[in-house]
Amino acid sequence: MDLSRRDFFQIAAALGLGLPAAASAASSTKRADEVTLKDIYGFNARGNVTLLHICDMHAHIKPLYWREPSTLISAPNLTGTPGFLCGESFLNYYGMKGKTLDAYFDTYMNFDALASKFGKMGGISHMKTLINHIKKERGADNVLLLDSGDTWQGTGVALKTQGEAIVKAQNYLGVDVMVGHWEFTYGKERVKQLIEMLNAKFISQNIIGDDSFADDFEELIFEPYTVMERGGAKIGIIGQSFPFTSTANPKEFTQGWSFGLRLDTLQQYVDKLRKEEKVDCVVVLSHDGFSVDQEVARQVKGIDFILSGHTHDPSPRPTVINGTVIVIAGSHGKYVGRLDIDIQNHKVKGYEYKLIPVASNLIPADPEGEKLVAELYSPFDKEFGEILGMTKNTLYKRDTFHSTFDELINDSIISAMDSDISFTPGYRWGTTVLGGDPITMDNVYEMTGITYPNVYTFELGGQQIRHLLEDIADNVFNANPLYQQGGDMSRLGNVTYDIKIGAAGGKRISNLMVGGKALDDNKTYKVSSWGGNLQNAGRNLRDQLTRPVYDVTAEYIRRQKTVNISGNSNVRIMDYNCGCPKKGSKGC
Amino acid sequence: MERRSFLKGFGVAAACAVALPHVASAADEKKVVGPNEMKFETAVAAITGGKALVASSKVKMEAPEIAENGAVVPVKVTVESPMTQKEYVKAIHVLASKNGNVRCANIYLTPANGEAFFGTRVKLGGTQDVVAIAEMSDGSFLTAKQNVKVTIGGCG
Repeated sequence: MDLSRRDFFQIAAALGLGLPAAASAASSTKRADEVTLKDIYGFNARGNVTLLHICDMHAHIKPLYWREPSTLISAPNLTGTPGFLCGESFLNYYGMKGKTLDAYFDTYMNFDALASKFGKMGGISHMKTLINHIKKERGADNVLLLDSGDTWQGTGVALKTQGEAIVKAQNYLGVDVMVGHWEFTYGKERVKQLIEMLNAKFISQNIIGDDSFADDFEELIFEPYTVMERGGAKIGIIGQSFPFTSTANPKEFTQGWSFGLRLDTLQQYVDKLRKEEKVDCVVVLSHDGFSVDQEVARQVKGIDFILSGHTHDPSPRPTVINGTVIVIAGSHGKYVGRLDIDIQNHKVKGYEYKLIPVASNLIPADPEGEKLVAELYSPFDKEFGEILGMTKNTLYKRDTFHSTFDELINDSIISAMDSDISFTPGYRWGTTVLGGDPITMDNVYEMTGITYPNVYTFELGGQQIRHLLEDIADNVFNANPLYQQGGDMSRLGNVTYDIKIGAAGGKRISNLMVGGKALDDNKTYKVSSWGGNLQNAGRNLRDQLTRPVYDVTAEYIRRQKTVNISGNSNVRIMDYNCGCPKKGSKGC
Repeated sequence: MERRSFLKGFGVAAACAVALPHVASAADEKKVVGPNEMKFETAVAAITGGKALVASSKVKMEAPEIAENGAVVPVKVTVESPMTQKEYVKAIHVLASKNGNVRCANIYLTPANGEAFFGTRVKLGGTQDVVAIAEMSDGSFLTAKQNVKVTIGGCG
């Protein structure tokens, strides 16, 4: 849908909004209720090419609430740097004011109050209106839409259609190129089928054959890069899928494929694009994670732009390292990143960037998109629409250690399995349900919709649990970004512990208690876990208890009718005194 | 012979075996001392005869930052050398610094090999350095290492 000036006035009037004297950064300074569509669209257009960037949509084709983290801590050398900013430290770093539209989108602060005032975020029909507006302004031939992956997984409609609904949504949005991560959890064969249905190119330089008896041994599985002409310029785009897919997700989905960072071959493709393909601009479309990509920019020479993904960071301003400009566009369809590039004489002369919030109350829905979403959901409306119960307090996902929705899932599992300990994975996708609102089956799928949903119950020794927690902590808090996997700490039910984030690997966790009693290294515990590999380390798997996590959670909420989650973290951080510390500080 | 078919035929068959079980399950099982246990320092001394190891950029090792599967971690070693009678690489040794038996592979070369390159898969009992030692024809020992993280993973 294209908005004429008249349409715009009508919409603004309908929403009761005054007409602005627009400034492009108005959404970060004006109060939420003063922002208009014109502020959202406002952009100092530049050059001849526009790259539109989305990442980590996690199959959210409908608008949603999504609260950003209230705790986001990493190793001391990284804390307070882009990728590890939240709340006040985020606002300070990017020079933003609280209670603005951008603060509502980018931080957890005043979330409930602003949510009721400002409404939901994202949704493909709203994204499409925004994309159409930009294509009209710039000329469709000058615009590319690039998707950093984690698009096919994360909602019930994605799970039930094995990703197909989301491929249709991408085709509707007009995605040109993508890379992957959770995409691979549909399995190799399904991935290939979905790529057939997809109008976009799927590229990756860092996935190669790993089966020494297969023809593709040490050969690329996908095209490593693509060259596209826009605005009279040749743009080379190299694909970088999630380097640790086979470690972070079950290996069986990608048996025979090997993942890795492969910075040496990345460098070779950058050089090849420059020297042989004679491109004017080198872009890496990446699912490495924001902090990993900052390290990539330090080690690989000659990349103009990295469009990052995986770690779900909104980045209102690009981060520039060794001349490489890195951007990342949040998650869950909340944003579209707009990057205008000025290319002259086969070189990048300049750029302009804006992370545009998809405020669904301000950006009108494209009717065609509304129709598509309704069609895709219609077979499942009855199941997804079931109200399981109510929540007294807001249920959210993002936090380094503990979240209310994860506490609810752990409570459900412990109640059903009668286990001593429950592990819920520290994924960064999910949903937010506001306090006082109903919890639907759709919400439960939004938190747990994966292709390996089983809750496993088995035995682990006390010492083994301690070692496992240290192992997970070392993946999350490693001082070297290349050894991180970009998730948060596993969430533990019926366990409390203290953590010293800056301590050496293997020495971070202390005061580990199970059900209020100190963990006994020599005792055997009954453990339930889902979404990870822990069951492979356990013994005496209770097969008859194994059930999908979404069923276990839904049943528990139905029984509770109203859930009341405290929100008190079960983890005490010993070396920081707040959840969003500033750089070089223990506090905020 | 192409590099690829070389690896296909040889690399996998040469994978080394170690005594330690894989990652987390190692934690609560009693350590078994096997007949092939050997410490890193002892293994290095057996190779060098006590000569000093010199860290060198001439030895290039490719190994993943994080192992996809600790049981089969691909490691490739290339040593820069003209490979002539006068100057060549006599042997490439691959060691895993913290395995029960640190020795993974000893590959002996002659100038006829043309290129000092070797690829294999090693089994790693936990996060540790993988070390390559190149024994040069002038009697010196060059080395390179990389830390490989072995983790149960599953963070998503």
